[in-house]
Amino acid sequence: MKIRKFLSAALSVTALGALAAACGSSSSSSSSSTTSSAPSSITIGTAYSGSGAFATSSVPELNGLKLWMSLENAKGGVYVGAYKKRIPLKLIAYNDQSSAQTAGVQYNQLITQNKVNILVADFGSVLTAPAVSIAQAHHQLLFDQSGTGIPFFTPGNPYIVLCNLPESSIWPTPLAQYMISKKITKVAIVYGTNDFDASQAETVQAKLKAAGITPVFYQGIPTSTTSYGTILTSIAATHPQAVLELGYQPNDTAFLQALQSSGLHFPMVFTVFPGQLFSLFQQQVGNAGLQYTYTYATNFFHNYTSVNEGLNSAQFLATLKKQYPSSVNTLGLLGYNTGLVVEAALKNATSLSQLALRNALTKVSGNLNTVDGNFKINSEGAQIGELLPVAQILPSGSTTKIGIVYPSSAANATAVYPAPGA
Amino acid sequence: MLVEYSIVAGVLLGLFYALMAMGLNLVFGVQRIINLAHGDMVMLGGFGAWELYYGYHLNPVVAIVVMIPITVAVGFGLYYLLIPRLKSAVDFETLSLVLFFGVSQVVEALAALGFGNNERSLPVSSIPSHPVNFLGQPYPADWWVAAGVALPLLAIFFLYLYRTRLGRETRAVMADEHEAVSVGIDAARVSAISFGVGLALAAAAGVLAVFVFGGVDPSEGVGITITAFAIIVFGSLGSPLGTVVGSILFGVAYQLAQVYTPSWSNLVPYVLVIGTMLLRPQGLFGRRTRIA
Repeated sequence: MKIRKFLSAALSVTALGALAAACGSSSSSSSSSTTSSAPSSITIGTAYSGSGAFATSSVPELNGLKLWMSLENAKGGVYVGAYKKRIPLKLIAYNDQSSAQTAGVQYNQLITQNKVNILVADFGSVLTAPAVSIAQAHHQLLFDQSGTGIPFFTPGNPYIVLCNLPESSIWPTPLAQYMISKKITKVAIVYGTNDFDASQAETVQAKLKAAGITPVFYQGIPTSTTSYGTILTSIAATHPQAVLELGYQPNDTAFLQALQSSGLHFPMVFTVFPGQLFSLFQQQVGNAGLQYTYTYATNFFHNYTSVNEGLNSAQFLATLKKQYPSSVNTLGLLGYNTGLVVEAALKNATSLSQLALRNALTKVSGNLNTVDGNFKINSEGAQIGELLPVAQILPSGSTTKIGIVYPSSAANATAVYPAPGA
Repeated sequence: MLVEYSIVAGVLLGLFYALMAMGLNLVFGVQRIINLAHGDMVMLGGFGAWELYYGYHLNPVVAIVVMIPITVAVGFGLYYLLIPRLKSAVDFETLSLVLFFGVSQVVEALAALGFGNNERSLPVSSIPSHPVNFLGQPYPADWWVAAGVALPLLAIFFLYLYRTRLGRETRAVMADEHEAVSVGIDAARVSAISFGVGLALAAAAGVLAVFVFGGVDPSEGVGITITAFAIIVFGSLGSPLGTVVGSILFGVAYQLAQVYTPSWSNLVPYVLVIGTMLLRPQGLFGRRTRIA
């Protein structure tokens, strides 16, 4: 009996020892599996507009992202902090042909079928809009490149982060301040009825009203509008001192061409995209049609010599020009900077889970300085680190150049107001 | 003042729209085909003008004269490539929709490959650019140029249709192809030429569209086809005169909408189609449907 008890106790001890050993080996094998379970590649999924109204902006943005990927892959991949190693990047990009409906289907496919690690939105608010709810529903973090519409950023949604450009409500703040400083009291605003332009129009109107100025013309038009002749005549009938046309690139081009051929002159004319796609506008509208037009100056026109992530301005421009010469513009910069934000998320996240990526970006917010300036987001994921100064396109010999005219702290040129001929 | 402006602008642009839609109506009238690639032909006309301007320094108005015979020839060949096989199908009209939808997609994709995705425009100075004063108000010069080019082209088209032997044969085929054949008309040849003329009208409109729409890009075809289709339904399918009147009314309605309800202005083509279908399905010139 004693012998049986002894054998039983010995067996128990042996079993416990074996269990402990097993636990130990399990622990160590778990540790080794963390390393071995690192994915062979980090898949980035995005939609882009290879054709259609948004192609001129979307393609350079995609090229900027591809530039970042190629630079990282040349180093062996992007550094993933959770695995303490570099992992090659892979891109899945679907052409949505500038259709929000098509983009919506593709975002779904990228999440559910391709199971991408990183979901990047297409250019602008129109094509980002379908991604916001889809990403939230699937608990996938959306790296929003340039969809700055106010409705995208809500307190209950941690699955979005605006990588570049301020939220639309912030964009026109310097613009409104500039008009108030110039004592402009008669302002005409025509805007596209989409989240991006409508948000800006509402902000400008609110800021002007707060200064006691009610716009003499305030009208939304379909985003697809390309005929502005009659609208310009309606605006002229109100005798404005400033005309703000808030649209996408095709709208701005058509508006400036119509203005040029109408023979109408206003003391101040503002459009959004010449500052982002300056060379394209020089080709499409011509220097004569662009002269004295106001626009937003982006960080593309700022020389950042010191950055703590990625290339500085000079290096970036040289590299982009070499690899994607047709994308040397603000949108190319935004695409590249999106990559840097993705890089920061992967470097600082404790795992590849979507919330971990989001938390990592909250952690680096305010401390990430790139070729696009300081990356800073609020609790809703909206970018608040950038302000877009007011610029004016000024004659420069036989061509034109962009000069920053407001605020004075950022200015490198003096505004010409009223524009000659008005 | 704005009402007057809108009406004048609507008439000027209406003449341009008439040129843009006429080819679609002609092809439908003769062959009972809704050419869903019509807008893409307009788009190719725009790119043609761009290439001729920057490649050969050819004035866009002169480019129209150069392009017309070329596009008639291309359309003639395209007809024999596509239509005879299609005509042997049981449901010819429905299948033609599918075929030309495919053609539209292919043309758009090829244009994107060939010309790139960026919208291209011609300098305002490539045509007379000084605003024209009329009834005390300035109108963009390109609207007058568009109307001034569209009007004689439409006049020539009507002369061809009503004052030439080929035009009479075309109208005979439009009225009844079988009867036309029975009196010795070569319906296939007439149809092929009509197809070419339809394409030429579209290409000519495409040159002007670069100025009226502010540029040309590979994806604009679908929107143009929808607008042209709305106009010919409104004016009556198969009626050339209906297309002209419908275009002018469309132009005026669109300009008035831009002044008084800009947010809704893009609904004008769709409201026209739905309104026509509900109130007068045969269109403005309904009694002459399919009879030129």
